[in-house]
Amino acid sequence: MADVRLENVVKRFGKVVAVDHVNLHVKDGEFFILLGPSGCGKTTTLRIIAGLEYPDEGRVYIGGKDVTDLEPMDRDVAMVFQNYALYPHMTVYENIAFPLKIRRKKLGLTKEEIDERVHEVAKMLHIEELLDRKPGQLSGGQQQRVALARALVRRPKVWLMDEPLSNLDALLRVVMRAELKKLQKQLGITTIYVTHDQAEAMSMADRIAVMNKGRIMQVGTPHEVYYKPAHVFVATFIGNPPANILECRVTQDGDKIILECPGHREEIRDPELADAVRRAGVREIYLGMRPEHIKILKHPEPGTFKGKVYVVEPLGSEQIVDVTIDGTVVKVKAPPTLSLQPGETVYLKPEDWKKVMVFDKKTGKALKGATP
Amino acid sequence: MPVAGPRRVRWGVLAVFLTPALILLTAFVIAPILGTVAISFECKHGFCLKNYVDVITQQSPDLALIYPPGFGGPPPWGALIHNIVWILIHVPLTTMLGLIIAYLLKDTLGGSFIKSIIFIGMVIPMVVGGLIIRFMFDKYVGIVPKIFQFLGVKSLAITWTSYPQTALIALILGSVWLWTGFSMTIYAAALETIPRDYIEAAKVDGASERQIFFKIILPLLKPATLVVVLMTILWDLKIFDIVFVATLGGPGGASTVMALVMYMYFARELDFAKAAAVAVLLALLTLIPGVYMARRAVKG
Repeated sequence: MADVRLENVVKRFGKVVAVDHVNLHVKDGEFFILLGPSGCGKTTTLRIIAGLEYPDEGRVYIGGKDVTDLEPMDRDVAMVFQNYALYPHMTVYENIAFPLKIRRKKLGLTKEEIDERVHEVAKMLHIEELLDRKPGQLSGGQQQRVALARALVRRPKVWLMDEPLSNLDALLRVVMRAELKKLQKQLGITTIYVTHDQAEAMSMADRIAVMNKGRIMQVGTPHEVYYKPAHVFVATFIGNPPANILECRVTQDGDKIILECPGHREEIRDPELADAVRRAGVREIYLGMRPEHIKILKHPEPGTFKGKVYVVEPLGSEQIVDVTIDGTVVKVKAPPTLSLQPGETVYLKPEDWKKVMVFDKKTGKALKGATP
Repeated sequence: MPVAGPRRVRWGVLAVFLTPALILLTAFVIAPILGTVAISFECKHGFCLKNYVDVITQQSPDLALIYPPGFGGPPPWGALIHNIVWILIHVPLTTMLGLIIAYLLKDTLGGSFIKSIIFIGMVIPMVVGGLIIRFMFDKYVGIVPKIFQFLGVKSLAITWTSYPQTALIALILGSVWLWTGFSMTIYAAALETIPRDYIEAAKVDGASERQIFFKIILPLLKPATLVVVLMTILWDLKIFDIVFVATLGGPGGASTVMALVMYMYFARELDFAKAAAVAVLLALLTLIPGVYMARRAVKG
C-alpha cells in the first residue's frame, strides 16, 4: 500500500503540452479518479505514473520513493488497459499467472503458490470456470474481470486503470461500477482511475481530479466538484446534463447591485451572491445553474428569465426541457407531469439563489459555489 | 423479421457466371496439367511407369535425383537431395534473419530505408539475382572470397561456384540474401499488427525485453512464421533461375536442382516424357506444403 505524489509534472509531445505542471497527491488506499474530456492529458498522466512515459519535468513518488526514472517493472504498479490487453495466445489461467511466472525467482514463489494465488484471485472475481478458456472465447465483461485479476494477482502497491469500463455495454457498466468500487474498498489498494465519464467518476471516486488541456482544474470529493466547482469548466463538465451557463453583466447602482442577463434584469437580493460579486469587483460574470435547480413557470413572476421551449426530452421519471433565452440554450429538469410544447413561452426561475454558482468571466474561476 | 428459407439455385445465372471462367481454366490450367501428367506416363506402346523409374534411378550426376555414390563426400548428391539441403539451410536462416531485421528496425530511425534496401533482393529479377550471386562469390571481384582472403582462410578465397564443395552452399547463401526481404516484409507487417497495449501490459507486469520477445511477440507472430516457412519451402522446391544463371547445375551436377533436371531432360535430352515425369514429381512435392497452407487458410 502506498500513496502517489506528482510534483510539477510536465510532458510534451513536440509542441503540444500534454501534461502541464500537474501536482497531485493520491492518498494511501484512496480511489482517485482523473476525469476530463478526451485529449485533456489524463491518460498521459496515468502512463507517467505507470512508467510507460517519462515526464519532461517534475518528479513522481510512489510510497514516498522517487520512481521518476524507474522502469515500469520496478514501480510495483499494475495496470488495467482500456481494451484489457489480454494475451490472445494464452489461456485465462496463463494470463493471470503471467505477472507471477515471469518474476517467479524475484518474488520467491513456488509453482504451487502461483497456482494458489491464481485460483484465489479467480475466485474473488468469479472467473474460476473460465480459467481454461482463451480470451477470444470470453464476453467483454468476462475479459474485463480477467484483466482485473491479472492486475490484482501480484498484489501491487498501486492499481492503475485506463477507462476499463468504456468497452462494456451500458447495463454492464453500471453493474461493474458498483463491483469495482466494492472490490477496491475491500482490498484497500490505492487506485488511480482514468475516465471521461463523469457519472462513473461521481459514483466511484473518493476524490476526483478534473483535467482540461493538460491542467488540473480542481481536485475534490464528488460532492465538492459538483456543488463547489472551482472553475466554470468543471461546472460545465460535471452533471448530467451539466450546469447551465448564462453570461451576465453586473452594474452598481448605489448600494444596489444590478444583474443583467439574457431575458432578465434585476437587483441581486441574495446577500451572499451580492457580496461575492462586490468583493471580486468584476463587471462580467457567468451564472451557473444546475438543471435540477431551475423551475419552469408558465406565467411571469419577478426575478424570472423569459425564454422559449426549444425541445422536450422525456426520460420517464423526469423530462429535460431545452429552453432558449436570447439564443442561449438552458437545460432544465422538469417533472414528467408538466406539459410543454416547443415554441411555448416559459419563465425560468432559480429554485433558490443560494444554489446559483458565479464565475468570473475573464478567468473562469469561481466567485461563489452552490449551497446544496 | 422474415425467416430466410432455403435459397433456390438459379442454374441459368450460375451458368452465365461460371462458364467463361471454367472455359479459361480448362483450356489454360487443367488441360496442360493433365497433358503433362499423361505425357509422363507415355511409353512406346501405351502407358507405363518406366519414365518414373528411369528418372528416379538415373545415375548420371547432372541428371540424377538421388545420387548415392556422392553420399559421404561433397556434392553431387542428386537434385532432390540438393533441394532438401537447400530447404534445411535456407528456411531457418531466412526466417530468423527476416525476423531479427524486422524486429530491430521496427522503431529505429531510418529503419524503413534500410528495409527497402533489403527488399531490393525481392524486387530484382531472379535471373539478375543469379548473376549477382555469381559475381559475389567470384575470386577476383566477389565480396565473399575477398572477406575470407582478408581473414586468411585461403581455402575459401576461391570462386565458390567453380568447385563442387562450395557451389551449392554459395547458391543457398545467395538465395538467403535474395529472399530475406520477403520474410522481413511479412514480419514487419505482422509486428505492426501487435497492439502496443500487449507490450506495455507485459512491461508493467514486470517482463524484461527478452521475456516480452519470447513470451509475447514470438507466439503472436506464429501466423506470419507459418506463411514465411511454407512460402520459402515452396520457393526452394521450385528454385531454378538463380541456379541456371549462376552454375547451370555444375560443376559436375554439384548444384543441380529438380527444376533444372526437368529442364535438362526437356531442352538438352529432348526427352519430353522424362521431363514431364520430373515435373509431376516436383508438383507432388510442392503440393505437401501447398495443401497444408490452403487448409490452414480455409480454417482461418
